[in-house]
Amino acid sequence: MFYVKFLAKRFVAIVITLAAVIAISYIMMYYSPGGFMNTTQLASALAPLAAQDPAAYQKLMEQFQSRYGLNLPLWRQVLQYEWHTFTFNFGNSMQNPTLSIVSQLKGALPISVFLAFGSVVVSVVIGIPMGVIAALKRNSWVDYLVTTLSMFGQAIPSFVLAVIFVLIFGVVWQNVLPVTGWGTPADAVLPVLSLAAGNIGVVARYMRGSLIETMRQDFIRTAKAKGVKYWALVIRHGVRNSLTALITVIGPQFAFTVVGTVWVENIFAIPGLGKVISTAFTNFDFPMAITAVFILGGTIMLTNLVVDLIYSWMDPRVKLQ
Amino acid sequence: MIVAIAVTQPQAPARQARRNSPMYRAWQRYRKNWFAVAGLIWVVIFFIIGIIGPWIAPYSYTYADFLHMHSGPSWQHWFGTDTVGYDVFSQILYSIRYALEIALGATCVSFLIGVILGLWAGLAGGIIDVIVMRAVDFMFALPSFFFALILMVLLGKGIFPMILAIGVPGWAGYARLIRSLVLAMRNGEMVEAARALGASQWHIARRYMFPNVVGSMVVSLAFGIPYDLTAQAGLSIVGMGLNPPMPSFGNMLAQAGANILGFPWLLYFPAGVFAITLLSFLFVADGLQEAFNPKGGV
Repeated sequence: MFYVKFLAKRFVAIVITLAAVIAISYIMMYYSPGGFMNTTQLASALAPLAAQDPAAYQKLMEQFQSRYGLNLPLWRQVLQYEWHTFTFNFGNSMQNPTLSIVSQLKGALPISVFLAFGSVVVSVVIGIPMGVIAALKRNSWVDYLVTTLSMFGQAIPSFVLAVIFVLIFGVVWQNVLPVTGWGTPADAVLPVLSLAAGNIGVVARYMRGSLIETMRQDFIRTAKAKGVKYWALVIRHGVRNSLTALITVIGPQFAFTVVGTVWVENIFAIPGLGKVISTAFTNFDFPMAITAVFILGGTIMLTNLVVDLIYSWMDPRVKLQ
Repeated sequence: MIVAIAVTQPQAPARQARRNSPMYRAWQRYRKNWFAVAGLIWVVIFFIIGIIGPWIAPYSYTYADFLHMHSGPSWQHWFGTDTVGYDVFSQILYSIRYALEIALGATCVSFLIGVILGLWAGLAGGIIDVIVMRAVDFMFALPSFFFALILMVLLGKGIFPMILAIGVPGWAGYARLIRSLVLAMRNGEMVEAARALGASQWHIARRYMFPNVVGSMVVSLAFGIPYDLTAQAGLSIVGMGLNPPMPSFGNMLAQAGANILGFPWLLYFPAGVFAITLLSFLFVADGLQEAFNPKGGV
């Protein structure tokens, strides 16, 4: 019963947040100086028509406006758009008016989700052992190496790393790993690595600090006194207790990684949601842009909800609210 | 005799007080961190280049040397030229200027909004506090980069729009920090004791509150600047940053990524400078955090 109430509360909060995000983005885009029909490409294509036959041009613009409901009052547009979005009826994009947004995103969404979750998984798999070793060999060269590498990973944004990877594998070691496109498993290696680097740094540093703290606790001394073997002590008593706190880092890191996918997909020319977002925003394709933000935002918030649930499941002392 | 003592006495404690001031002790700790000092040196150089860069740049950023397109590093073009003949060295100098303008401006905007709302929420309490904290939750629900993208659509391209687009969505963290500091201070025993001793509001604010909050604020600002630097380059990566003739690190990186085959020097220098800069800012921020808060943090 408690869980039902908690889930219902969080779910309502997510819906309200998304509704507000959609309303704010819609209003901002409504008042934006540019428009889809004013982008360089379309404007230059339509310029002869506007010069020769203003009436036909006017009619075309009106058709375009009524097609996307842009001639209604603003409040009705917003409400209509909210309703369509929350019934998952996203309509058609402006760039490809004959294709529905859903059909265009069907291929893109799994790619971005794979990249984001994949890099989080990779960062956990690599970061935890790094942090554990650094914590156990505190103040040794291994520790300094891990700490310095983590700093590098955290400081250098994923797009810079992606570009550096392109340099290494596109120029120096050609034909080792593909640097553009999407399709084979090898294509995923570099994007996932460039996204994971920052998370690896965060996970390793957090794990190091939290394990050092845990190993100072009384129960570790007790276990040691009882004669628990070293690695059993580290893994079963130390790492397991540090892991619960690590879960809290994953949530914010996931949101950060989703932003990273937008950048990395543009560098590696991957047809994911990030690429869709950047073309939608640069072309003032509002339905597409808002839908993409809606989907990414929803994914981030749902992931945070799941993270909270896992945290309370792993550590019953944590109160959900 | 008594007068002489009264005059000479204060000098020794005054020097002692300076040695014990939080800023002085923080600097003592900061100095010992080699990474942080190295980072600080580069950050200072970066600032100097940001100020004088456009004057020492050998070429204007709009000057395209069509006779030396795609040329590698040479005496004429130190860092080579790009696909339209722009001088990469000059481009980097100009982008440092713009990157600094945008990052510092955006951090100031975020900080200003955050301080105002955080102070208001912490001091007024009640319904205002609830509303501000709900707004903070809302801002944290989504990455601020998405808000920045949407704001860029509204404001159009340019330096000032970018300052606002990156700065306005970034207030939530500062507001939360300031509010928690205000609450801790307002209900703190130290302030209560000072008030009981008859200290004036100004004295309490200057001698009790400010030394206690300056550390957290400096650290949060130091972490904010590299974040905003990343955000402004990231906006260019997705094509929502400065328009191409205006040089920016994001544009150079995106362009270098696309033209990597055959022209690797387009990448070495911009990516190198940008990566070192972000690293230095992070080292400085990290060093400051350790200096101001030696026990906390991992």
